[in-house]
Amino acid sequence: MRISYNWLRRYIDLDASIEEVAQKLTSLGLEVESIEHLGRIFDGFYVGEVLDVQKHPNADRLRLCSVRVSVSDYPLRIVCGAPNVAAGQKVIVGTVGATVPKNQHDPNGNPFVLTKATIRGVESFGMICSEKELGIGEDSSGIKVLAADAKVGTPLAEYLGVNDTALEIGITPNRPDCLSHIGIARDLAAAYNTKYIKPIYNRFENKNINISTLATVNVKNTTDCPRYTACIIQNVEVKESPEWLKQLLNAAGLRPINNVVDATNFVMLEYGQPLHAFDYEHLAQHAIVVKSAERGEKFTSLDGKVHELSGNELMICDGERSVAIGGVMGGANSEISISTNTVLLEAAYFSPVSVRKTAKRLGISTDASFRFERGIDPNITVEASERAANLIAELSGGVVVSGLIDIYPQKIVPKIISLRVARVNAMLGTTLSAKQIKDFLESIEIGITAGKDSNLFECSVPTFRPDIEQEIDLIEEVARLFGYDNIENKTSSEVMFSAPDQHERQITAIRTWCESNGLNEVLTNSLIDSPTAKLFGNEIVAVKNPLSVELESLRPSLLSTMLQTVAHNYNHGMSRLQLFEIGTVFSAATEKNRSGYVEGYVEKNNIGICLSGEINMQSWHEKQRVVDIFDLKGLVMSLLRGIGLDNSVLIYYNASTSLTEMTIGVEINNTYAGFIGKVKPELLKKVKIDHDVFFAELDLDVLTKFHAVKTYKGFSKFPTVVRDISFIVKKSVTVADIEILIKKSGGERITAVTLFDLFEGQALGEGMKSVAFSLKINSHEKTMTDAEIDVMITTIVQSVTKTFDATLRSV
Amino acid sequence: MLDQKISELQSEIERILPAIADNDALEKFRIEFLSRSGKLASLYEELKAVPGDQKPVYGQKINTFKKSVETQFESLKASLQSSSASQKIDIDITLPGRERPKGTRHPITQTLEHMKSIFVSMGFGIVYGPEIEDDYHNFEALNFAPNHPARDMQDTFFVKDDIVLRTHTTPVQVRVMKNRPLPLRVIMPGRVYRNEAVSARSNYFFHQVDGLYVDKHVTFADLKGTLVTFAKNFYGSDIQYRFRPSYFPFTEPSLEMDITCFLCKGKGCRICKHTGWLEVLGAGMVHPNVLRNCGHDPEKVSGYAFGMGVDRISLLRYGIDDIRIFFENDLRFLNQF
Ligand SMILES: [Zn+2]
Repeated sequence: MRISYNWLRRYIDLDASIEEVAQKLTSLGLEVESIEHLGRIFDGFYVGEVLDVQKHPNADRLRLCSVRVSVSDYPLRIVCGAPNVAAGQKVIVGTVGATVPKNQHDPNGNPFVLTKATIRGVESFGMICSEKELGIGEDSSGIKVLAADAKVGTPLAEYLGVNDTALEIGITPNRPDCLSHIGIARDLAAAYNTKYIKPIYNRFENKNINISTLATVNVKNTTDCPRYTACIIQNVEVKESPEWLKQLLNAAGLRPINNVVDATNFVMLEYGQPLHAFDYEHLAQHAIVVKSAERGEKFTSLDGKVHELSGNELMICDGERSVAIGGVMGGANSEISISTNTVLLEAAYFSPVSVRKTAKRLGISTDASFRFERGIDPNITVEASERAANLIAELSGGVVVSGLIDIYPQKIVPKIISLRVARVNAMLGTTLSAKQIKDFLESIEIGITAGKDSNLFECSVPTFRPDIEQEIDLIEEVARLFGYDNIENKTSSEVMFSAPDQHERQITAIRTWCESNGLNEVLTNSLIDSPTAKLFGNEIVAVKNPLSVELESLRPSLLSTMLQTVAHNYNHGMSRLQLFEIGTVFSAATEKNRSGYVEGYVEKNNIGICLSGEINMQSWHEKQRVVDIFDLKGLVMSLLRGIGLDNSVLIYYNASTSLTEMTIGVEINNTYAGFIGKVKPELLKKVKIDHDVFFAELDLDVLTKFHAVKTYKGFSKFPTVVRDISFIVKKSVTVADIEILIKKSGGERITAVTLFDLFEGQALGEGMKSVAFSLKINSHEKTMTDAEIDVMITTIVQSVTKTFDATLRSV
Repeated sequence: MLDQKISELQSEIERILPAIADNDALEKFRIEFLSRSGKLASLYEELKAVPGDQKPVYGQKINTFKKSVETQFESLKASLQSSSASQKIDIDITLPGRERPKGTRHPITQTLEHMKSIFVSMGFGIVYGPEIEDDYHNFEALNFAPNHPARDMQDTFFVKDDIVLRTHTTPVQVRVMKNRPLPLRVIMPGRVYRNEAVSARSNYFFHQVDGLYVDKHVTFADLKGTLVTFAKNFYGSDIQYRFRPSYFPFTEPSLEMDITCFLCKGKGCRICKHTGWLEVLGAGMVHPNVLRNCGHDPEKVSGYAFGMGVDRISLLRYGIDDIRIFFENDLRFLNQF
């Protein structure tokens, strides 16, 4: 909320600087977000007197003026082009260094700083200003001439009476009592241990007429409208508000409209009570009926918008039709106009829930609805209404009809809440005395009576504090008034042992591995467009109120957003992309969920790895090439080895997905962990990538679950023998199958089988390839003889040649 | 004939070899004498002309000669190499080294890992919860009454009427308080969502860390002590800080913590909106209603909770002025971290 400091000081004497007061407000939980000195834009502008005017020697339309801006100092020479400048005038002078708010010669009217200027060969030491240049009027035809009695040397802000300061205060939703100047004065008074004063004003009552002869009020829905009051002001003249009122409203950020509306706004910002003024003559049968809207009813509000009503809105009606949306906005059909003579003034207490629902449904938020939603004081109504009625009368020359209609069937009374002194100290970690606590609470008008013993208070909470509902809320008030900074920073709480758990350590290990191996971590959007999401399956989770169709569905995989990242980087000239992301993917659950999640949805924490473009950094020593599937396969295998899953990984090759080709499945301890593949061209086309992209996505829960502390296995004391063998086989025979067969037929003494050469060529024959393996052979029992090894190799060769129809190339 | 050739070659080599002082000359020698088409190889060609019965004898001679030249060549090569290691020779050591590619952790991850490590050292465990959350955990159990204006503070994405994308990590507090034994001291990092237009200052998703401590006799003073310890570790021991009363439905009393702007040192600048202060976290004592909703008796136990935004803190930490750059993942950005 924006408040005026001058306005605030109508209710409280403050013997402190604005900055100190702002700090105090902040420490009370009323955070001052900005301080704006409104007169500061006029710094460097003064009232001056034109002593003498002469022709400019080099320009017909310019004059040389001698202008006095200080009684004690020499006059300034100012070159001026205004046609109306004349000796003897009191004018507004901008001195060197001042910022002129609006440049008349700039189409955008941007501000500019005055400097000592040479104009057609003559030095000029300032500027005589028009009202447009200062933003205080529209006239730009010539300089502003002030009244003859204006005092030379007066700073312009002071001359204009603009000496106010606006404070922007962040009021949290629990403090509706501070949505007014009096409310803020009340909290400040408590903090400064002083008093605040409510406004004192003149009354303009006409005792000869009673309101009961002029109007009726009938509240049919007392749930949504627990209190409704009306009073009437006659013989009003609707006109512009006086300067003081316009200045205060402007300072508080409200645009002045006319004296009647301004008076209601003023009292709203004064007491926090929203008010509405109806043109009495436009109320059919001079009646007010408060009831729910008709279903399908159309209503035109003050701002000219037409609303179709659902029937749940609380409406203020006259004898025939709706005239206002209760607590939200008035209607065009009864608004105050220049011809209004009699005003019916509404001050009511509407139920917060009802106003909130209506305002939300209609998409309207007004100063009134904002306050009603948060809960105003139901017992301030009459006081605020009388204040506003008399102010309207004062400003418009009218009179207030005697009497006030007040429909308040069920009085809302202060809550009584018990407070234990010991509890206060137990929650806050303080050692406050009963007396201190009592003083704090009484300072914000909470009534205290002693309970059974001196350590128990019965607290009566004023109705302007709807947020205080239970003991803990009173404890917060004590803490707030004692000052958060006065509560100890205790660090002696019991030490608890903690270390990152298995899951956390594995995730860190994975990140560290990826980072150390040259991958860049990315974090991408969680929401994608639905057509793309559906490519991944039908169990898509979509949001009902997306920001745009591009951000409608929760990602079922990390692939599509990682591809966007790849596309972005290609578009910005990058050529080597090696990325990983750890993030959540979502789907609708078809089976029973894991516990800890919302029924019907599955969330998985996945790692996505993406390789595309060049494999190496550009260098002098390595030949460049683009990545292929074996780079990614090797990277994934190395990662899994790197995090200790070397013995439990199974790769299989019939994994099919709709998004990748050459797809390889990965299992860890017989649990599916994810896949590795080449992204299908259709998918790449969608994001306009014309390079191959290789992608792997693995379930982190599986990757972190199977980590186990390793058990040492003894190694052989006997030498290892290396033998190479190569075969020519059909291309359709897979290396994996040959490897498996070599291990099987060679038995456990084969400790490693490594493919070290692979080629195809005319010489081998059509459709054939040569594969060469290096075998490591070792026994735990003895040094193997050449003869034994030869027997083993022969067995292997026979087995491979027979099974795969292979030819031995060399041994 | 062949004998003469061998002895000619031998004397030629004896003349040349001792004068060789660098690798170029050595290589020249190798090509001239020892390569496949070199002078020694040509001796074998001449062998063809030798009468059959003498072939083995001459073959043996050539072999022996060749072996001896090779031995001399190898020893000279070795001595040249060892002397080149000590002498300044023809390798340009200003050539770039063969570097390993540098990977990066995302700056938001780095901030989060820093936070986690501090809290872990203070005795907090780490737990996670779902991003698709029900109204009960996201709002109701946290004391957000239906139709309360506090719900407006958090523009919400709805999956169904009562299923939302969590607007904060605080619902994880409810889950742990319901499911884990006391005492409880955990932090809860994760991604959260707000239905807000994307701009330089706000994104529709961001990352938070919530913290929770529930035990007997936990006080507001303990909360303040914990937050100060964290802030001094994370932001530096010389920072100034202040606590302001604030409001969250799920804590009471509630506070917000500000630290002096580390850009202007409190003098006021654009980043701190000229206040000299930066808001870094919100916190408070767990509201008795929330404790009750989670099955705990607020008369017997109490607790504190806090929450902070990882993205916002990362912006400040790295001097970034547009939050969107975090999720563009431009390598020119990522490679700076
Ligand atoms: Zn700053």
